[in-house]
Amino acid sequence: MVRRRFSLAVVAVIAVVLAVLTACNPDKKAAEQVSTDGMVANLNGGSFFGGSDGQRNFNPFSGAPLVWWFTFEPLFVVNSYSCGETPWLGTKYAWSGDKEFTVDIRQGVNWSDGKPFSAADVVYTFNMLKRLPQYDQSGVWSTLASVSAEGANRVVFRLSKPSTETFTRAARVPIVPEHIWSKVKDLAKFTNPGAVGTGPFTVKAFNGEQLLMARNSKYWQADKIKVKQLTFSKPSTGDAEALRLANGEYDWKQDFLVNIEKTFVSKDKQHNKYWFPPGGAIDLYMNLTKAPFNDVGFRKAMSYSIDRKLISTKAISGYAKPASQTGLILPNQKDWLAPQYQDGAVLPFDPVKAKKLFTAAGYKYNSSGQLLGKNGKPMSFSFKVQAGYLDWISASQVIKANLKQVGINLDVRTSDAGEVENDRALGFYDMEFGAPAIGCSMFENYDNPLGSERSAPVGKQAPTNFIRWKDKHTDELLTQLSTERDPAAQKKLVAGLQQIMVEQVPYITLWYGPIWWEYRTAHAVGWPSAQDPYAGPGDWLLIFTRLRSAQG
Amino acid sequence: MAYFLRRLAFFVLTLWAAVTLNFLLPRLQPGDPARSILSRLGQNRSITPEQVKAIRLMLGIPNENLLLQYWHYLGSLAHGNFGLSYSNFPAPVSHLILQKLPWTLVLVGVTQIIAFVVGTVLGAFAAWRRNSRFDSVVSLTSTFIGTLPFFWIALLLLYVFSFVLGWLPNTGGYGGPPIQPGLNTLFLESAIYHSVLPAVAILITAPIGWIMGMRNTMVQTLGEDYIRLAWAKGLRSRRIALRYGARNAILPSVTGFAIALGAILGGQLLIEQIFNYPGLGNLMFQALSDRDYPLIQALFLFNTVCVLLANLLADVLYGVLDPRVRRGGSS
Repeated sequence: MVRRRFSLAVVAVIAVVLAVLTACNPDKKAAEQVSTDGMVANLNGGSFFGGSDGQRNFNPFSGAPLVWWFTFEPLFVVNSYSCGETPWLGTKYAWSGDKEFTVDIRQGVNWSDGKPFSAADVVYTFNMLKRLPQYDQSGVWSTLASVSAEGANRVVFRLSKPSTETFTRAARVPIVPEHIWSKVKDLAKFTNPGAVGTGPFTVKAFNGEQLLMARNSKYWQADKIKVKQLTFSKPSTGDAEALRLANGEYDWKQDFLVNIEKTFVSKDKQHNKYWFPPGGAIDLYMNLTKAPFNDVGFRKAMSYSIDRKLISTKAISGYAKPASQTGLILPNQKDWLAPQYQDGAVLPFDPVKAKKLFTAAGYKYNSSGQLLGKNGKPMSFSFKVQAGYLDWISASQVIKANLKQVGINLDVRTSDAGEVENDRALGFYDMEFGAPAIGCSMFENYDNPLGSERSAPVGKQAPTNFIRWKDKHTDELLTQLSTERDPAAQKKLVAGLQQIMVEQVPYITLWYGPIWWEYRTAHAVGWPSAQDPYAGPGDWLLIFTRLRSAQG
Repeated sequence: MAYFLRRLAFFVLTLWAAVTLNFLLPRLQPGDPARSILSRLGQNRSITPEQVKAIRLMLGIPNENLLLQYWHYLGSLAHGNFGLSYSNFPAPVSHLILQKLPWTLVLVGVTQIIAFVVGTVLGAFAAWRRNSRFDSVVSLTSTFIGTLPFFWIALLLLYVFSFVLGWLPNTGGYGGPPIQPGLNTLFLESAIYHSVLPAVAILITAPIGWIMGMRNTMVQTLGEDYIRLAWAKGLRSRRIALRYGARNAILPSVTGFAIALGAILGGQLLIEQIFNYPGLGNLMFQALSDRDYPLIQALFLFNTVCVLLANLLADVLYGVLDPRVRRGGSS
């Protein structure tokens, strides 16, 4: 009896301690208040970024800044989904000739410390990037010659060589205040603690665990900002993070979730939503310096030997869509489709056709159904996959099974991601996955994987053309595309590149890597979604000028 | 004296080996720090070569040969300069470590001491009352909990007390603004509140080792002749249990504890990961996944030096406590 009473006492003490702790929850003192003015009181955006251990760093050019994209604004916002440009700190731009364009600067914009914003700030920002090449992450100075002000409201960009990409790169650079940055002695180590910007939110408080941002009431389009406060917390990963999201702690998040309908949506059907728009394609790279990959006939047959539908439903949890062989992201970029590929050119899995194509290309099958190389040996290739990329690993298993059906043996091996990518850059591989950077610039989308100046001999690091595609016609089209400013002519050139992709199959496109995007409509509505894809996930300025309270 | 000098020489030699290994190991790891930093920054997997170039320039990632790097590394160590963190550029590494140290020291230090005391007492008592109901409950429970994965227990606690019941916070070491770290009640209250779950998680599992260790040695000790002699002399059982049994049985545990305390400073990686606790373990994990060489090196070094010092201390203590050890070398 004594013992039982003792354990009862322990339970009682623990219960009292917990009750006291819960009652005087010290965190609650900083808790949310309900807003009555039709605005959203607070939104929780999850991670405040800033590297492994967030220090107070609001320098958008430095290695690991905290959330800065509500503080600093670019000249033009480039919509990552539709690729349209929205005038922001710049109001309009005009090209004069191949090597010069001007940007008109918005008037009436103030920095959050009250000082007026002007063309001088823009010029200062660009010239700073020139002085500190480590800050020029978009490589804007690779084609710029000079940036100067013309009066108080116009900036002239002069180029060192014709390149239409320069505008897109320049448009995105976050503009910083000259009156603060020019006084800093060691800009390379500047952490910009004051965070004075032109953006819709200013830094309210930061304590290492949380970052609070407050609505900038003097913002130049303050009437569009209906959120009073943003909360971010220290980045964390793993199972607990998925629980927090399902628990409704975050208003938006960009995470991969296993079985999202069950783990997230079903927890609050009314408010928990997601939209995974297609991002850049994941492709099958073949080392074109080796036989039989250097044979168009072989590659064409290969492109019918892979079940893209099965990959996206089975291996990628059904979140991904099969990719178009044109190299475009569909449906986002469907306006660029060449007339002959209006159906999207997503290749089907057709082992019968593939076998015919292999035979037509001069490859033979032996009695046990193995495809023989030109040397008479059964075909067997190594396929290196990045360890830890679970979706890629399961996709590689589907590909292995598919290729077996057409008589090719695939030796799938996983090893450290860094090593796999290093081998790919050096050209030491048979087959690997590739995910070229794909964005709004059609030139870069095709130049990165296919441009011959992006390649290198085997054994040397290739910048981005890892398959080592070398084709005169491709290079000609790319050179023209880099300087062409007429949309109709651009379309024609891109159509030519699509034709190369489909007819010569330099690499095989597989599926579109989904862009993770979960959001909750409990506090705010107006998030980009499949029904209303006005912006891509991550186009924060576009999104936050649209959000409004869920109550009214 | 010769014994202590030998221990000291051994300490210096291992320290040098540790420092050198510490320099080499991160450099043998495959992968490019610039790329892994960028892939953390961007939500997109693809990185343009311009970005890689810019980041390399910023971090000043060394291109000089390994020997020269080693020389510079030794030089800056002598000056206590660990460089700037790659992943938290431009924060100095020493600043990051000092910031995290108190968290680990308090949370893990306090819980480990409690675990050691509780574990040893329970173990001794279980051995004394061998085969009693108390013994079987303690032994069985600790064996059972010992078989459960540590992180699973932590996640379960988190799930029940934080997500289902909502009693305790589920992340971080303290709450959001207006709380500011420092010596103020608001912060201290919050820090204690946030440490409850991780502390409980540690306290559930940490005593097990001490319980089992103490119980086993104590059972052995109780079979010794001098215990029988004590009984024969008619000493009181409490005196036999504490002065004769436990006092001798605790020796190996004390050595173990000294070493464990050294290792504590490495932080409790799993616990800190799960609760997103701002300690050294979490810092280490992030540094590893970011390939933040300067930070990794400093953390490893710090860890190794702590363990080595604890070892040295344990060696010296042993020499003082047990004359046989001191004479062992020369006879």
